[in-house]
Amino acid sequence: MKVSLFATCIVDMFQTDVGKATVELLERLGCEVVFPKGQVCCGQPAYNSGYVKDAKEPMKKMIEAFEDAEVIVAPSGSCAFMFREYPTVFKDDPVYFEKAKKVASKTYELTDFIVNVLNVEDVGAKLEGKATYHPSCHMTRLLGVSESPKKLLSNVKGLEMVDLPNSYNCCGFGGTFSVKMGNISEQMVDEKVDSTLQTGADYLIGADGGCLMNIGGRMQRRGENVKVLHIAEVLNHH
Amino acid sequence: MIQHREEFLETIGNSLKRTVNTKVKPQRNWKYAPQKKGYQGLSQDDLLEILEKQCDKIHTDVVTTTVKDLPNALEQVVDQYGGGPISMWQDSRFDDYNLKPLYEEKWPNKGYDVSKWFPELGEQNIQNAEKANIGLTFSEYVLAESGTVVLFSDQAHGKSVGLLPNNFIAIVKKSMIVPRMTQVAELLNKRIESGESLPSAIDFVSGPSNSADIEMKLVVGVHGPIHATYIILMDE
Amino acid sequence: MSIQYNKHTFKDNVEENLNNSFMRGAVVSAQDRLRTGRINAAEELGDWEEWRAHGEEIRQHVLNNLDYYLHELAENVEKAGGHVFFAKTAKDATDYIQEVATKKNAKKIVKSKSMVTEEISLNEALEEAGCTVVETDLGEYILQIDNHDKPSHIVAPALHKNAQQVKDVFVDKLDYNPQKSAEAGELARHVRTTLRNEFLTADIGITGCNFAVAESGSICLVTNEGNAGMVTTIPKTQITVMGMERLVPTFEELEVLVNMLTRSAVGQKLPSYVNVMTGPRKPGETDGPEEFHLVIVDNGRSNILGTDFQSILQCIRCGACVNVCPVYRHIGGHSYNSIYSGPIGAVLTPLLAGYEDYKELPYASSLCGACSEACPVKIPLHELLLKHRERIVEQEGKAPISEAMLMKAFSLGGSSSSIYATGAKIASRVVAPLSKNGKISKGPGPLKAWTEVRDFPAPKKERFRDWFKEHEKGSDK
Repeated sequence: MKVSLFATCIVDMFQTDVGKATVELLERLGCEVVFPKGQVCCGQPAYNSGYVKDAKEPMKKMIEAFEDAEVIVAPSGSCAFMFREYPTVFKDDPVYFEKAKKVASKTYELTDFIVNVLNVEDVGAKLEGKATYHPSCHMTRLLGVSESPKKLLSNVKGLEMVDLPNSYNCCGFGGTFSVKMGNISEQMVDEKVDSTLQTGADYLIGADGGCLMNIGGRMQRRGENVKVLHIAEVLNHH
Repeated sequence: MIQHREEFLETIGNSLKRTVNTKVKPQRNWKYAPQKKGYQGLSQDDLLEILEKQCDKIHTDVVTTTVKDLPNALEQVVDQYGGGPISMWQDSRFDDYNLKPLYEEKWPNKGYDVSKWFPELGEQNIQNAEKANIGLTFSEYVLAESGTVVLFSDQAHGKSVGLLPNNFIAIVKKSMIVPRMTQVAELLNKRIESGESLPSAIDFVSGPSNSADIEMKLVVGVHGPIHATYIILMDE
Repeated sequence: MSIQYNKHTFKDNVEENLNNSFMRGAVVSAQDRLRTGRINAAEELGDWEEWRAHGEEIRQHVLNNLDYYLHELAENVEKAGGHVFFAKTAKDATDYIQEVATKKNAKKIVKSKSMVTEEISLNEALEEAGCTVVETDLGEYILQIDNHDKPSHIVAPALHKNAQQVKDVFVDKLDYNPQKSAEAGELARHVRTTLRNEFLTADIGITGCNFAVAESGSICLVTNEGNAGMVTTIPKTQITVMGMERLVPTFEELEVLVNMLTRSAVGQKLPSYVNVMTGPRKPGETDGPEEFHLVIVDNGRSNILGTDFQSILQCIRCGACVNVCPVYRHIGGHSYNSIYSGPIGAVLTPLLAGYEDYKELPYASSLCGACSEACPVKIPLHELLLKHRERIVEQEGKAPISEAMLMKAFSLGGSSSSIYATGAKIASRVVAPLSKNGKISKGPGPLKAWTEVRDFPAPKKERFRDWFKEHEKGSDK
């Protein structure tokens, strides 16, 4: 299957290792991965801040970059969800509405794609240690992907998964929220870090770059010893 | 009297961007009816079991008895609650169930004051209920799911009886246990559709009053009764 | 009390509350308990998603036919012997109620908990008219006697106080014996005795309205303490104030919504009391009010009807959204500076009271969607917060200029892949001097707020897309 990778800007600029792991993992699972070069940011930061008109420009660019794809995969539930929302954003634009529907209908978050399109639950990964999983809000609640990452992680050899207390609470990222409401965000991420420490896990695994940057950044600042990993990196570890 | 209705509805019509409709009854074509699922094919015994379990959770005692044993059972509950004064509805069922000897002789002999709700007593009724240790009523229906008795008020059935005393006793027939509020709502709907008026008060009471307003700690017994018992008549 | 609590900025209110460790502990444990209760109750009920879909369709149907049902409701209240007053504004409502109180020569008024009466500042209006107003919900009563402290939660208004604080207030204001304990049960019993006397001597009872039933002219009140029962049983005059959207067509829908309300609010199948009242007492009856007034309040609601925000009027005030909100969890109810807190407050308050004082509230959310997921009538709360932001930016022009510039630049950069690509490339060089060991601990501009709390990863020298180009070449070989 030919997969058009929607890398996301966080991965492109900050988490290149996650991008690499995603490509290698998909190739290992027999996919041909292409990177549509016209891709920019999905527009979510502007859209979620209320700059809907401004957000439409990059969104149109993204639609054009991906409209001919066979299937679109993103290593982020939040960014994948933004693609799924494009038809709503362009509901009053007859031209882009149709294109947006096409793009939305073939967009998948990485683990959802592996489990529900490729029908693979064991990717043959190995990682020694104890880990806990942070279910990102957009991925779980808005995109509705909650079981796939758990299934895939449960089949990673050597990895002991433990439950994260109050896992349903947001980590405090929320895009611009993390800077606009910095002091509230701090309390939220601190609670997330504390919950993670309670588990005694060596790794905190997530499927969304934004949340991981937030939790990881706070861990680092506090000098905690938990390693923050994107699920693609875990699944590509063998 | 209805005041300022027209201009009020006019504003609503403007917001809804259409002319005001007060004549054509809107069609209620519900796509869903989850309340009608479940509790299918349950016997009265099954419902009683559900009721008893729920009452346990809401700090409410359930006593099952027969018509013949009712005077005994009731006397026991009343004694447990420390006796009179007792405030009760005026209801022919008390006599049908042979409770007259209890409230006319036994209780007064034990020194328990008994007051019945007589319209001609006026305000005195409320004062009697307020002074009572125990309020005694019947219940038209019982909802098994939530452990709820349903009190219909009228001139002989004061609301105060079930509300003001420290302890509340309701007598119900096992045959009147229904699964949940859905069934009573249906009956009320029918009543309204047939043009019958509703009682001025219908109180759905589920056990004693309670509150968790202080530190989220459950306190049983706030403004309403502190204890409640339902007496179920098994052969009725 | 009006909607607004104080004139402090949102930032100051948040700062103050973040430092209130008792409040924060209480909110966390209340949230955890109420959330679990709600989920267990929904699970036990079964088919919860279908219930939600039904709740939503009922509420939408009512809003779309509000004129018909309000008309029908008024007809039936009148038929049952009650008076109906339609109040366009808060003042219309309070003027009418003052007038009733004056006519009845009322001295003492007992009230059962009601958000809408807070919204229209009814207590102040009645006190102005020379009446003593007594709140009878335990939580509300505690706040009232504590020099009118403000509610911090829709269903648990005194959540922010601990039992010792409550005891201190009782000792101070209610002659509670200081030797007695600060145990919740003992405190509650004391209020039972104190308030019993108030109920018995009150001239008027005032209630809110959980739901009104159009087909019968009934009003329905839901309580656990039994105070609504007392308020509607003993005083000779009853005034019920309802927000204009709080009604249902028939008992069939009432039953559904009452069941969803109490499960969503506190995880109960039904509360101790569901009181359904139709008109005043009938001839020969000796309790219940002799006179019944229903005051139906618009107060800005019709400005919401028919707009993108209409769905907020579906709200049945259960507080489920409050109980799952991770922002409320840390800042508590008072930070919202409104009687409506949490997600429902962040959406509703700016609509009722304007953006001028409340333009920050729509941003007090990480858009995690927990509120929308918890709402029993499927209000898309987080989407409405987004709509607010869109309005603030695009219509109200209330967004900070620096942010607008940033977003402009972003859309320019984002709209052309070559600018984006170059931008991303130079980003690593621009921030290079700031970074140390691949992380930035102290950044400028928007990075500042981020790095006050957490490290920021320095952009990689090699972007992913550059790696991919090489990778592609490799696989071509």
